Amino acid sequence: MNRASIMLVARREFRQIAAMKSFWLTLLLVPIALALGPIVGQALEDDEATRVVVLDRSGGTARAAIVDRFEFEEDRYRLSALSRYVRRHGLEQADPQAPWAQHDRWYTAADVAAFRAQGGMDAAIAALDAVKPEETSSFEAPEPQYEFPAAPETLVAASDDELDARVDTLLDSEGDEEVATVVMIGRDYPADPTIRLWSNEQPATSFVTVLQDVLTGDLRQRLLTGRGLSPQEAQAIQSAAPAIAVTTPPPGGGAREALLIRSIVPLALAYILMMSLMLSGSWMLQGSVEERSNKLLESLLACIRPEELMYGKLLGALAVGFSMILVWVGCAAVVAFATHGAIADMIRPALAPLTSPGIILAMIYFFVAGYVAISILFVAIGALADSMSEAQGYLMPILLGILLPITFLIQAIVMGQTGIMVQVLTWVPLWTPFAVLARLGAGIEMWEIVGSGVLLAGFVWLEIVFLGRLFRASLLSQGQKPGLKQLFERFRATPQ
Amino acid sequence: MPVLEVERLTKRFGEVLAVDDLSFAVRRGEIFGFLGGNGAGKTTTLRMVLDIIRPSSGRIAVFGNAPDKRNTAAIGFLPEERGLYGHMSAIDTIVYFARLKGMAAAEGRSHGLELLARFDLADRATAKISDMSKGMAQKVQLATALVNRPQLLMLDEPFSGLDPVNQGLLEDEILRASERGAAVIFSTHVMQHAERLCDRLLLLRKGHKRFEGTIDEARATLPARIAAIAPRSIAAVAGVAHAEPVEDLGAGWHEWTITLAPDTEVGEVLERCTTGGVPLRRFEERRASLHDVFVSLVGTAEVQP
Repeated sequence: MNRASIMLVARREFRQIAAMKSFWLTLLLVPIALALGPIVGQALEDDEATRVVVLDRSGGTARAAIVDRFEFEEDRYRLSALSRYVRRHGLEQADPQAPWAQHDRWYTAADVAAFRAQGGMDAAIAALDAVKPEETSSFEAPEPQYEFPAAPETLVAASDDELDARVDTLLDSEGDEEVATVVMIGRDYPADPTIRLWSNEQPATSFVTVLQDVLTGDLRQRLLTGRGLSPQEAQAIQSAAPAIAVTTPPPGGGAREALLIRSIVPLALAYILMMSLMLSGSWMLQGSVEERSNKLLESLLACIRPEELMYGKLLGALAVGFSMILVWVGCAAVVAFATHGAIADMIRPALAPLTSPGIILAMIYFFVAGYVAISILFVAIGALADSMSEAQGYLMPILLGILLPITFLIQAIVMGQTGIMVQVLTWVPLWTPFAVLARLGAGIEMWEIVGSGVLLAGFVWLEIVFLGRLFRASLLSQGQKPGLKQLFERFRATPQ
Repeated sequence: MPVLEVERLTKRFGEVLAVDDLSFAVRRGEIFGFLGGNGAGKTTTLRMVLDIIRPSSGRIAVFGNAPDKRNTAAIGFLPEERGLYGHMSAIDTIVYFARLKGMAAAEGRSHGLELLARFDLADRATAKISDMSKGMAQKVQLATALVNRPQLLMLDEPFSGLDPVNQGLLEDEILRASERGAAVIFSTHVMQHAERLCDRLLLLRKGHKRFEGTIDEARATLPARIAAIAPRSIAAVAGVAHAEPVEDLGAGWHEWTITLAPDTEVGEVLERCTTGGVPLRRFEERRASLHDVFVSLVGTAEVQP
């Protein structure tokens, strides 16, 4: 075996692919798409508060109760988010007594009241900024979900007959005056507890639940005081609630969350393996078909052995795949460095699997072996086909057979399942690289890694022997469409 | 030691006997013609010499070694079916093949440029193959076969598809290679090239050797014929096997086509005519052409003038 010839073929293959416009487009489009994804997502994200008009014709305190309750829920949510941020960065020393430094309970009305009394979000952020290290990103408080503007005069003054039409006009208005929902409390409330709700879309369940909760409380308060209880007693009954003590792992430490975060790098590797294989494989196939259709093979085979040609092609494909990965990972690293705040925070736990040299070795091994195992199929198809359309005929069933189960596999890993399908895919060599790579983050037994790795090595060796024979035997049989019998003969054949 | 030695070579493809018990040898500086019709086994034999396919039986020695112990640095090959990478430039293509044959890139480039200049393609050295005409691309491919100054140059149907000017250029290159000591084998079914170039030739029919030797020896396999204008008495001269009258010229004179008896020299018959008093107005020897030999040994269906 002449290594210099193999390297020459590999270099030529690489150069040919690198000269293709599609190679550069793909190389650049993937990072651009990944970068644009969050930007577009953010642009499409509806981060404006939903405007709700509450028309209280009963003249009571129902509107104020509804608005108070929604503001309370918003503050509890923001307090909870702030608590997670403080815990993630260990900033409790900013104010150990503040509610956001207590992570062990479901925040109550008293906690929210204390938070507000201490100056709310602005005071909390000021306290945290004073102690947080410079490289730690600042906390970004979630925007309020609902806004309650005063009911417009046209609606307040509307008669019962005019009401529906004026609500429709209001819901149809656009711009700053846009209103998504109108809630009307009738004149006879609470004698008639019917509440009307207009909305230009299906209202969120959480909104209706809170609305119902507030008005149910109000009705019960009235019923209890109507039965002779003092307002304080009635309120005490109403606000009786268990104190829920909460024990959770730190951010990124929960079982499901941790599994997902630890699986980011291995899953990304499995995806990248799949993408780069498909791309470099089809480019390599194009090159092989060109060699056949341009009648180049005999000239080449007069200089090098078929095996050298095959290994050179494999090496070239591997180099193309690795260069794509290098560029993509490089782009990701630049992004992570440039935004060393939020993304770096997310990436740090995701890189946890890479702290083990064994896992790094396993990743490299399964990635390379997977690349060779699948690329060799492309090489063999290239030796069989005289045209791209003929190659597609061989390729489609093989690609479907490889890719469909992998799609299900990755979904299963993300959902934390390790059922029979995941096990089977781990032990079938064509799917082994994807299955093991995807499972490395979620946890896979050492014996499974070693066993499936050995099986994969054996499979690659068999592929090299048998597909090598097919490659050699098919190279010069141009124009002959092999039937199944001829294919088997070529697998069996020693060089002839 | 012959550059190439083939002994009792046989190749079967299933039931088809492509090469049948073939033996020959080619020496340094020799131009060896490999003649035969389509399917005679020429390409199969060359592929076995290059170890692209393996023989069913028999022995091949290239520079004294089995063909699987490749000496690509010393071999140049131009296949019958030609093609190159369309996106590569002429000079890059030549350098690529030079390097596959073990040459240094710089040496491959300088000799490649020299060859392109000789082939009148110096100004197209950096042009892409896909932008070249078919004839230009064929010359680039010839350069890929010659770039390593091979000691064994094998050309499979090298003249097919070439215009007369390029056929002349190829003939020059074959002669040049032979003059520097290379053994040249080329297969063809065009007799003119073989007649002009070959020191020795081998005639194949359905994989079997029908003749091996020089052109003169090939011609000698067919009896010589004489075109004569003489009276009827010439038919009785000793050594004349058959005298066929072609035309009656009047006054006792006839034009004859005379076939000589085996082992009879033309000069002997002329002498007997003179001494025997047979008057002659014309006496012209017509030796068998290579075309005649080919038709006789291989068959009319396989020949191309």
